[in-house]
Amino acid sequence: MSEQIAFWILSAIAVLGALVAVRKRNLIHGVFALMIFFAALSGLFLLLLAEFIAAVQILVYIGAVGILLLFAIMLTERVAGDDGRRMTSRGWFWGLVVAAAVFVVLLLPAIQQWPTPEVTQAPDPSVEELGHKLMNPYVMTLEVLALLLTAALIGAVTAAQGMRKPKEEGSPE
Amino acid sequence: MSLELIRDILVATVPLLLIFPTLFAFTTWLERKALARIQNRIGPNKVGVPLTRYGGRFSLFGLGQPMADGIKMLFKENIVPRDADRLFHLLAPILALIPAMLVLCFLPIDFPWINNIQDSVKAFMLDGAVIFFFAITGLNTLAVFMAGWASRNKYSLLGGMRAIAQMVSYEIPLVLSAVIVVMMVGSLNAAEIANAQAGWNWFIFTPWGLAAFIIFFIAALAETNRSPFDLPEAESEIIAGYFTEYSGFKFALFFLGEYIAMFAISGLAVTLFLGGGAGPGVAALPWLSVIWFLVKIFALIAVMIWLRGTLPRLRVDQLMGFAWKFLLPLSILNIFIAGSALHLLAGGRLAGLDEKQPILRQLMEGANPLVVAGLWIGALLILYVAANGLNQLSRAKVRPREYKYAE
Repeated sequence: MSEQIAFWILSAIAVLGALVAVRKRNLIHGVFALMIFFAALSGLFLLLLAEFIAAVQILVYIGAVGILLLFAIMLTERVAGDDGRRMTSRGWFWGLVVAAAVFVVLLLPAIQQWPTPEVTQAPDPSVEELGHKLMNPYVMTLEVLALLLTAALIGAVTAAQGMRKPKEEGSPE
Repeated sequence: MSLELIRDILVATVPLLLIFPTLFAFTTWLERKALARIQNRIGPNKVGVPLTRYGGRFSLFGLGQPMADGIKMLFKENIVPRDADRLFHLLAPILALIPAMLVLCFLPIDFPWINNIQDSVKAFMLDGAVIFFFAITGLNTLAVFMAGWASRNKYSLLGGMRAIAQMVSYEIPLVLSAVIVVMMVGSLNAAEIANAQAGWNWFIFTPWGLAAFIIFFIAALAETNRSPFDLPEAESEIIAGYFTEYSGFKFALFFLGEYIAMFAISGLAVTLFLGGGAGPGVAALPWLSVIWFLVKIFALIAVMIWLRGTLPRLRVDQLMGFAWKFLLPLSILNIFIAGSALHLLAGGRLAGLDEKQPILRQLMEGANPLVVAGLWIGALLILYVAANGLNQLSRAKVRPREYKYAE
């Protein structure tokens, strides 16, 4: 019962947060609303006993993605957040269609086996089980992903450095 | 939700909310007093403890000062700049306090009253407690940014931006040095990490643990905006930075949040490296572990105060270079050293280890003392050489100044 109540409260916060994030003209307000959405999502993961995913949700989405968004806004000239310009709303129809399509595709696996089969074996979402899975069957995947991310990081640094002019001999720095 | 569960939750949380703010009041007094002595002043010495008969006459080293400060803060005018974002200006101090308070429950302090409550209420028994700790302390950055941005003040904004850059950079060495401990224990559970160090098996007494502790402590100073990393609130450059526009109780909340964060991160350092509640006499008297835990926290806080009185503030360019070019490579190297050392100690026994027991303890049991000694000297040597080399590499290339017209 208390889980039901918690679920509905968290869901309401998540939906409200997402709506505010989309609707707010003020960029910074929008980012913080998005973070509220992420936090509510993390709470929902906790309700599913997936504590690791909940922690990572906070760590990655609020701690990294959210901060990155704020960083990006700080580097633009619209630091104040709100500007009077109105967003153009052309193409809202197709946008709605695409959003609905994505939603349906995401739900497809669930829809296909509609009368949901009874769960016979409860999944064990504990950190321990996750660690075993990561180290035993998925260790190659993990390593490849790590390599890919490292490559992306180095690539980003290289791109950010730009074409630096070769230094002239003996010139002071 | 049963009544028992509610009672257990209250028993687990309310004492934390009472104890640590009380300690905060005492710490502000300690800090002012210690800084004053370092700077050859006397510090607060007039305010006595009220409600005692001789409150005014015997000032008890000015111990009443925190209470007087608190009352003063409560009665001060709440000033909000005209252009400020009122909602965020109000929310920022609250957001600064919540994560700091929240992570206190991940510290495995064995208070006598939590022995009777069920395990599911104890947050530090969570399998991912350490990850949760880092995830939630990271939220502090947001509060600082929120405050800086909502004040509509260029100094505040500068402070907020500095805070974000600093906290994001120093979080990486912080987490990477905690990884060492997780490797040595084989668990992310805070209680298990503390138990693995029972007796004198503290992880600070291993070479890689010592290096990790030093990196962790430096990064923790930066995470909590303590001097010499207090650039976000540099008084002499940007006038207290993100809380320039805060007065009265909102300012007090920031202050409280900052100190609670200090307690929390020191508590994590104690859990990870300094043996948690381990100490002499704990086996005979279990409640001593609480005392030891708090004593160790206060030892770290005392070092923080001492550093604040001793070191000058870093420059912004030094700050970033230090995190990315010195601490980060060193902590990655440290992970490699710890990994290879554990592997060498194991000598092919890794597969036969009991998962439920701390890894390092099992490895040390059957290890050859000569191998252990060699490993320690080797690890310390590598770390020392690496730290020296990195220091040389990351030193800013500044030529000695040439004086054209002097002399």
